[in-house]
Amino acid sequence: MDFLDIVSSILLLAGVFFGFSGAVGLFRFPDFFTRVHAASVTDSIAAILIIGGLLLQTSFDLNTAKLVFILLFLLVTSPTASHALAKSARHGGLLTLAETSPQDKQESAK
Amino acid sequence: MHVVKWALVLSIFWLLLSGFIQPLLLSFGVISVVVVLFTLKRMDKVENEPGQIGTSLRLIRYTPWLIGQIFSSGFHVTKLIWGSPDKVSPAIAKISAKDIPPSSRVLYANSITLTPGTLSVDLEEGEVTVHALQESSITELEEGQMEKKITAIWGENK
Repeated sequence: MDFLDIVSSILLLAGVFFGFSGAVGLFRFPDFFTRVHAASVTDSIAAILIIGGLLLQTSFDLNTAKLVFILLFLLVTSPTASHALAKSARHGGLLTLAETSPQDKQESAK
Repeated sequence: MHVVKWALVLSIFWLLLSGFIQPLLLSFGVISVVVVLFTLKRMDKVENEPGQIGTSLRLIRYTPWLIGQIFSSGFHVTKLIWGSPDKVSPAIAKISAKDIPPSSRVLYANSITLTPGTLSVDLEEGEVTVHALQESSITELEEGQMEKKITAIWGENK
């Protein structure tokens, strides 16, 4: 029991760290598309670690099944949401940093 | 057959979510399962894409590998977040997904998005537009490890 508690708190703390990193990344990264990348750290790793940590706190009953469902649905829906965001940004004409920065350099050279 | 399968899946799902076995609540569960099955039956008439999502056994083979990928690239992105912002050199490229069976292409695009550092922006005509935080992730995708993994698991029939 003690061993499981230790493992679960390590997983939870790691999850918190990655969730926090994702939030910091949201502020530090330069443009929309790169910020979505930072958010996906929170989406994937932090979600897996936190739910993994919570799974070890349950006594393998119905709550375990519910947590597994939450993880499965998160893993399916969060990339779909990121994709929808990125796709609509792209179709709306937002250029990525890779496409705009060479132009900036040319303009400043002139 | 299809109705029996869904009746079972939905009943198990309902029981796992509720956990109550009083007759009143159970009958509510039965009613909701019947309503969903009735809708499914009606939707079958409009449905004209007979494709089905691959069975769960295949997902069991794929998920551990994907989680490994998520972790290795997630560490990378976390390093970029805490490191100096100059190292971020976003790139965008089109990657061919023609070898992947059409029904698994969504899975491929979703896997790309799920792995931190790469983001699928568009999926059309067997080509995925991928945005990456660093050039190297694009070359990694072009080498096609993920593509091979998906075609190996889902490409057998179809």
